[in-house]
Amino acid sequence: MVLELKNITKNFGGISALTDVSFQINEGEIFGLIGPNGAGKTTLFNVITNMFPPTSGEIRFLGEKISGLKPHKITDKGICRTFQNIRLFSQMSVLENVLVGGHCRSKSGVINSVLRTKSQRKEETNSLEAALELLELVGLSKFQDSIAENLAYGQQRRLEIARALASNPKLLLLDEPAAGMNETETESLFDLIKKVQKRGVTVLLIEHDMPFVMKLCDRITVLNFGKKLAEGTPAEIQNNQEVIEAYLGAEEDDEIA
Amino acid sequence: MLGDIINPYHLQIISFILINIILGISIYITLSSGQLSLGNAGFMGIGAYTSALLTINFDLPIFLGIILGAVVAGVFGILIGIPALRLSGVYLAIATLGFGEVIRVIFVNWESITQGSIGLSGIPHLGRELFKTFKLTGFDPDMLGLKNNQFIYLLVVLILLLVNILLVWFFIRQNKSRVGRAFAAIKMDEKAAESMGINITYYKVLSFTQGAILAGFAGALYAHVMAYISPADFAYHRAIDILIFSIFGGSELIWGAIFGATFMTILPEALRFISDYRYMIYGVILIAMMAFRPQGIIDVSLLKWFKKKLKLKRGGSLGIGTKKYN
Repeated sequence: MVLELKNITKNFGGISALTDVSFQINEGEIFGLIGPNGAGKTTLFNVITNMFPPTSGEIRFLGEKISGLKPHKITDKGICRTFQNIRLFSQMSVLENVLVGGHCRSKSGVINSVLRTKSQRKEETNSLEAALELLELVGLSKFQDSIAENLAYGQQRRLEIARALASNPKLLLLDEPAAGMNETETESLFDLIKKVQKRGVTVLLIEHDMPFVMKLCDRITVLNFGKKLAEGTPAEIQNNQEVIEAYLGAEEDDEIA
Repeated sequence: MLGDIINPYHLQIISFILINIILGISIYITLSSGQLSLGNAGFMGIGAYTSALLTINFDLPIFLGIILGAVVAGVFGILIGIPALRLSGVYLAIATLGFGEVIRVIFVNWESITQGSIGLSGIPHLGRELFKTFKLTGFDPDMLGLKNNQFIYLLVVLILLLVNILLVWFFIRQNKSRVGRAFAAIKMDEKAAESMGINITYYKVLSFTQGAILAGFAGALYAHVMAYISPADFAYHRAIDILIFSIFGGSELIWGAIFGATFMTILPEALRFISDYRYMIYGVILIAMMAFRPQGIIDVSLLKWFKKKLKLKRGGSLGIGTKKYN
C-alpha cells in the first residue's frame, strides 16, 4: 500500500470540506478521484501534501505517518503534485522548471555552488540529464529553452507533469490533467500517464473527463459534498446507483433539463 | 603622466559608485527570492557603526572591523528575517522600513557609545591606513608619479573594485546553481516552489541574510572610506536610494543593480552644473523610467540581444557563457 487515508476531516470555519474520508491506494495503481465541483477533491490534494493540515485523521505514506510534515518534506518523501490552475514558474525556461523539480533530489549549497566543486558539477550534470530525459518523455524536448508561459496550454500541463516527475516521486498527484485539452491532447496525455505508471510511479488523479477516467483508472473513489460516496473499479462505479444519481445525473434530471 | 590624469574627486565618486553597487547587489539578492526589504539602510548602519566603533575603540585592524561589521549585520539579518517570513510584499517593506528607523533612532539616542546625531568622526581611513603599511615597506607613490593623496584614493578604488569583482562572480555563480533556481522559484510562485520540495523558510532567510550581510559590508566600507558617519547617513531615504538602484537598473539581473547604482550615483554629479534643477531631473527620469520600462533598464531580453550582437561580432564561433541551460 502506497497511500492510506484514515478518517480525514477538514473544516474551514464552520464549513466541512471533507468528512471522514478514508481510502487506500495500492502500489502501481492509477487511482481516480471524481466528484462534482466543490466535492472537496482539490482540498484532499492539499491535505495530502499538507498545504493545509487536516482537522482530524491520519495519512500514511509507505507505512509512515506523514500528516503534519511540511510540504517540502512530503515532496522529499516521494509525493509530488500538479495544480488544477497551472502553477509553473512562468518566467523560467522549460528546462529550468524541470530542474527546479529536481531540487529535493540534489543538495549542493551556496559554497559548493559558488566554488563549483566536483560533486556539485556532477550533480548538475545528473540533474540536467534527468531533466532532458523527462522533457523527452513528455514530448517537450524541442521547447527546452522556451519560456514556460509561452507554451500552449496542453504543453504547460505536460510540463507540470515533467516538473513533478523530476522530484522522483513514488506517488504522483495530478489535479485535472486533461482540463482544457482537446481530444488529441487528451489521447497523448493518456499515453503519457500510462508511461508514468510503467516507470513504477503510482498515480492519483482528479479528473472530470469521464470517458478518460473510466478508461485510464484501475480504481476510483467518488466524493460528494466532502464525503466518500463510493469506491471501486470503473465498471462498478459506472453501475453504482448512488453515483449515477449524485454525479452522473439521474434520468429524471435529463428530462427536466 | 598618471599623476596628471588622476583626480581625487573623480576617484572619490568612483568609490561611492563601487560601494553603491554592493548596496544595489544587497537589495537585488533579497529581491531575487521575492522579498521587498527596505531595511538595508539599517543593516548598512549596523555594519558601519560596528566596524567604526571596533576600530576606533579597540584599535582593531580595519580589515577585521569590516568583516565583523558584515557578520553583525548578518546576525541581525537572521533575527529580522525569521519573523519577517510571515510577511510579504508591501507589508514586509513597511516592517523592514520600521526596523531601519529603529536602528537609526538607537544610533541617535545611545549617545555614550554612538555620539548621537553628531556622529562618529576619526574613523580610520581605509586608504590612509594601507598607505601607512606601504610606507613601511619603503614604497613612495612618487615612484609612480603620484601625490600621496592621489595614491590613497587610488588604493581605495582598487580595493573596492576587487571586492566588487569577487561579489559579482560569487552571485552570478550562485544564481546559476540550485540555490539561485530555488530563489527564482520562490519569487515566481511560493506555493509551487514549496510543493516542488524547496524549503522556502531556509531559502528566504538565506537570501534575506545575504542581503543584510552585503549591506553591512557596504556600510563598513562606507565608514572607512568617509572616515565619518552619522545616523542621518542611514535614514530611510538611503533605503529608498538602495531600492532604486536595483529597480531602476532592473531587478531581474545582477547587472541591473550594477548599472542602476552606477547611473544613479553619477547622475547627480553630472548634473551639478544645473544644481537647482538636478533633483528635479532625477525625479523626471525615475517617473519616465517607471512609465516606459517598469522592469528596469537591463532585463533578460536586453541581455540576450546583447549577447547575440557580441556573438555575431566574434563570428558566432564562441560559446562562452551561452551554455544551453544557463
